[in-house]
Amino acid sequence: MSAETRKKLVQILLVEDNPGDVRLTREALRDDHTNHLTWTSDGVEALACLHREGKYADAPRPDLILLDLSLPRKDGREVLAEIKQDPELRRIPVVVITSSEAEKDIDKIYNLQANCFITKPLDLDRFVLVVKTAVGFWSGIVKLPLQ
Amino acid sequence: MSASEGASRTPARRTVERALEEKVAREEHQRVEASRKLLASIVESSEDAIVSRATEGHILSWNRGAEKMFGYSAEEAIGQPISMLVPPECASELGQIQERVAQGESVGRYETVRLAKDGRRIDVSLVVSPIFDAAGRITGASSIHRDITERKRAEEALARRAEELERSNTELEQFAFVASHDLQEPLRMVASYTQLLAQRYQGKLDADADEFIAFAVEGAQRMQKLIQDLLTYSRLGSRREEFKPTECGQALGRALQNLAASIEESGASITHGPLPTVVADGSQLTQLFQNLVSNAIKFGDQQPPRVHVSAERNGAEWTFAVQDDGIGIDPQYADRIFVIFQRLHPRNEYPGTGIGLAISKKIVERHGGRIWVESKAGEGSTFKFTIPTERSNHLA
Repeated sequence: MSAETRKKLVQILLVEDNPGDVRLTREALRDDHTNHLTWTSDGVEALACLHREGKYADAPRPDLILLDLSLPRKDGREVLAEIKQDPELRRIPVVVITSSEAEKDIDKIYNLQANCFITKPLDLDRFVLVVKTAVGFWSGIVKLPLQ
Repeated sequence: MSASEGASRTPARRTVERALEEKVAREEHQRVEASRKLLASIVESSEDAIVSRATEGHILSWNRGAEKMFGYSAEEAIGQPISMLVPPECASELGQIQERVAQGESVGRYETVRLAKDGRRIDVSLVVSPIFDAAGRITGASSIHRDITERKRAEEALARRAEELERSNTELEQFAFVASHDLQEPLRMVASYTQLLAQRYQGKLDADADEFIAFAVEGAQRMQKLIQDLLTYSRLGSRREEFKPTECGQALGRALQNLAASIEESGASITHGPLPTVVADGSQLTQLFQNLVSNAIKFGDQQPPRVHVSAERNGAEWTFAVQDDGIGIDPQYADRIFVIFQRLHPRNEYPGTGIGLAISKKIVERHGGRIWVESKAGEGSTFKFTIPTERSNHLA
């Protein structure tokens, strides 16, 4: 992929520890050729990627972050808090997508300035629809500040 | 003459009068003595420790009950300060009791701890009353100690047992919740990927593969439904809304709104009589009406189903009835239908996991009521449940 085509693509960072969900997310977006998905499987990796540390030196700055909550090493709540406290990163929309439905999680996540909270639908078709809709909304409908 | 006659009669009369007086006094004394002995023997024979003391605090009398309870003999105890029975941690209460007694008040059924000779602490229920002399002055106090150690022990054992039960019940609910929540994740993978297989490879493998995949998809989806129901059921205990006065008419109205689609589809007519206001968890009450009305529609026999909801007051509780003209229930199954995941009909005839009535039962029981069904096969069913008119505190 050349630098130019990559630039036009919507860069998505998916932070998810379950490979099954990663593949499902890829499947949901597979007919949509306007985006590029980078995957990290825990919170420490996700922040390294966002700060372009180590092997992530060339990582693209994401246009959208899809963030799971239960992650090894550093969980999604901590990752979210760090992103929203970082002046460089805090304008990137963060979509929390998790299996939790707990009200205390929902409260906490919005207090931490997440852009939205989604409970992973149990049904495949619904899951595909939700991922497509969320990505479509944040990458195609809303006006975001220039980076 | 008459004077000497009179004088000669007088001493004799005096003697008789004195004798009579003495007899009366002796009899009076005997009566008093008998009554005193009777009272003393009642006091003596009492199981309760009955102790009297002077205003200054030293012990004046000590019955056998006191000897038995505290381990001091009457000789040892009489003359000693009453404070020797009071353990250090209760020292302050003695002054308070004395103050009230000094004002002529009695202190009744006061539960406290007293100290025996060997240092044992005894749980007692105490009644302390002032003692008055003939002139109405307070000269001391009597105290009756009842040993309530056994009762206390039984109460504590009961409280511990209740606490254990409550804890194990909470743990069980938590377990059901955590287990079903955690099972849901891997199951979502199975369900999603079998569905994905079905979508991508339907008709591309062979007929057997299509059939196998279809069974896998259906099994996984059914299990998802069961687990979701189990979650709903276990949440009834953990997600508690506050109990407050709730208009049953409104709760029923919300339930019917939620059921609008199936009411319209079945053409059901749902009527209700006057409904009271009860102290309840509003969303659970809505859920309860919703489950019962939706069952009535689902198991309707004639088209369109007719359902009537009513309530009547019976003493300290309201009895609600949800009556339908559906297929009815054989009375031998009247209890089984309230057990979680119990079904009476094949899934293809009447879909569902068998959770609705289990949830209804749990809701009713959380509100301190009972639920049952009155029915005969083929003659419709009436589901009845009760809700107390006053909310009792132990359920809060």
